[in-house]
Amino acid sequence: MIYVENLRKEFKKTIKEPGVLGSFKSLFHPKTEKIVAVNDISFNVPEGEILGFIGPNGAGKSTVIKMLTGILTPTSGKCTINGRNPNENRKSYVKEIGVVFGQRTQLWWDLPLRETYAVLKEIYEVPDDKYHKRMAFLNEILDLEKFITSPVRTLSLGQRMRADIAASLLHSPKVLFLDEPTIGLDVVVKDNIRNAVDYINKQEKTTVILTTHDLADIELLAKRIVMIDKGSNVFDGTISELKSKYGQIRELHFDTDTENVKDILSYKEHFDFNDEDITVETEGSSVKVRFNSEAVPVSDMLSYTLGKINIKDISVKDADIEEIIRRLYKQGV
Amino acid sequence: MKKKFRIYMPFVNAGMQETTTYRANWIFLMIGNVLGCFVSYFIWKAVFISGNNENMNGFTMPQMVVYIFLMFLTSTLISSGGTYDIGEEIRDGSIAMRIIKPISYNSTFLFQELGNKFMTVCILIVPLVVGVEAVRCIFTGSVQFNIFNFLMYILSCVFAYLINFFFNICFGFIAFIIKYLWGANMMKNCIVGFLSGATIPLSFLPDTLERVFLILPFASLNYTPVMIYMGMYSGVSMIYYLALQLFWVLTFWGLSKLLWNVSIKHLTVQGG
Repeated sequence: MIYVENLRKEFKKTIKEPGVLGSFKSLFHPKTEKIVAVNDISFNVPEGEILGFIGPNGAGKSTVIKMLTGILTPTSGKCTINGRNPNENRKSYVKEIGVVFGQRTQLWWDLPLRETYAVLKEIYEVPDDKYHKRMAFLNEILDLEKFITSPVRTLSLGQRMRADIAASLLHSPKVLFLDEPTIGLDVVVKDNIRNAVDYINKQEKTTVILTTHDLADIELLAKRIVMIDKGSNVFDGTISELKSKYGQIRELHFDTDTENVKDILSYKEHFDFNDEDITVETEGSSVKVRFNSEAVPVSDMLSYTLGKINIKDISVKDADIEEIIRRLYKQGV
Repeated sequence: MKKKFRIYMPFVNAGMQETTTYRANWIFLMIGNVLGCFVSYFIWKAVFISGNNENMNGFTMPQMVVYIFLMFLTSTLISSGGTYDIGEEIRDGSIAMRIIKPISYNSTFLFQELGNKFMTVCILIVPLVVGVEAVRCIFTGSVQFNIFNFLMYILSCVFAYLINFFFNICFGFIAFIIKYLWGANMMKNCIVGFLSGATIPLSFLPDTLERVFLILPFASLNYTPVMIYMGMYSGVSMIYYLALQLFWVLTFWGLSKLLWNVSIKHLTVQGG
């Protein structure tokens, strides 16, 4: 469905030297620098899959999305969506895709929401009966009824985002690009949006590419993730693959009435952990220990801890994906 | 054709709703224009009083008054905010949201503005034309209104608007290079104001200069429609100037298409 091969995008950037003098200099003799926003990215997405596309800020996610949606032209490399090149025949290409940029709106600022959909209906040439069915359906999953007569500029962020997603789905696109669709939203609206995306994906086999910084989005929606950093692929696989590859991290939580737990236990010295393989946090009587279970098995950790101090309550958890990602972002892989 | 109409009709509608939403803005804009109009009326009055001739470069005082008010009407009718809008969209990156829609970039602007324009025309044209005719009537003692000239004036205004629109679009694409257009836009407005006869009638200029300016596209903007309305162009010269207008419409239309195709490849979206 979506093939991306060695995609690369360079920008020219004018460098301003500091200060007023620098401004004058760059006014007459601007220095430019080549910036590689996307270096070399390849991945495929089969039909009907939700792909989580993640990476730290400035990794090049949005630039990739903009190339896939035909807004930017790649410097080199190829992307094919639905068997088509986004930069050729733009008008007929964008008819088959839906796009949501969380930080911008595609709705008409001054028009009531209902009018916006009427405009989109004509633009995408959706027949009347299909349009009514679709609106009823979108209304149901995104709950638009309450604000459909208000002008877009008066909507709250949560309402606007739901409206935006509805707008991107009106013409039943085959591919949906969501660039940070849950940015700045509360838990309820996030849930609402996740459910809607999940539903559309299951019902209509819509292929979805989703970028986000909220890893709950990824865990709930995406089967597969592609992670990029500094414009290059870092990881491509399922979430369980990510977990097994990058971290047998476990979290040990317990409550204790012993004082100075850190000094008494001194895991690092006892088990000879590497620095990044263990962290201990204490807060009052509760203690949180994160460790790499490949370095030391969970059973050893448990029996050692139980033998050393007096424990009231203890639990062991799988590290969540967030922890793994945090480690990856920090290391820069 | 019909399909196209259905697609772009909502934009006309959107444009009209925009005008009504920000009606206070619209009213102030119009008041500002009218005030400017009176300022130039008094300046020209002073010029005519201090001059000894009744006729200055082919204009009598009443004709000058009519010229000033017609200039105001015409420039309001054919004004186009394309440069500013495109510049803004490029500056804040919202141009991306237009590109992801299966529609022609230029056409959405055109039809949206036509909606705005429609409201302006409905409100302004009757009182202004009546006003202008009343002034003429008072000064000359007889009704001067000529329906044929009026219709030709409207046609000429349509051409003038299209030239202005596509010229502004072309100019707006400069924002792809210089990123922010405000200064360039001010400069353009000044130059166009002078070259199009909005500041002083072109016939006040030296002969050679006048002849050059008349061929340039800017004279086709304001000067040609006003001259047609006033009956200064007739017969062959009217056909010649209308044809010249049409030529410029097509030229700028083609140029705007070309520039769009070139600049879309070099687009960088700012922010986000």
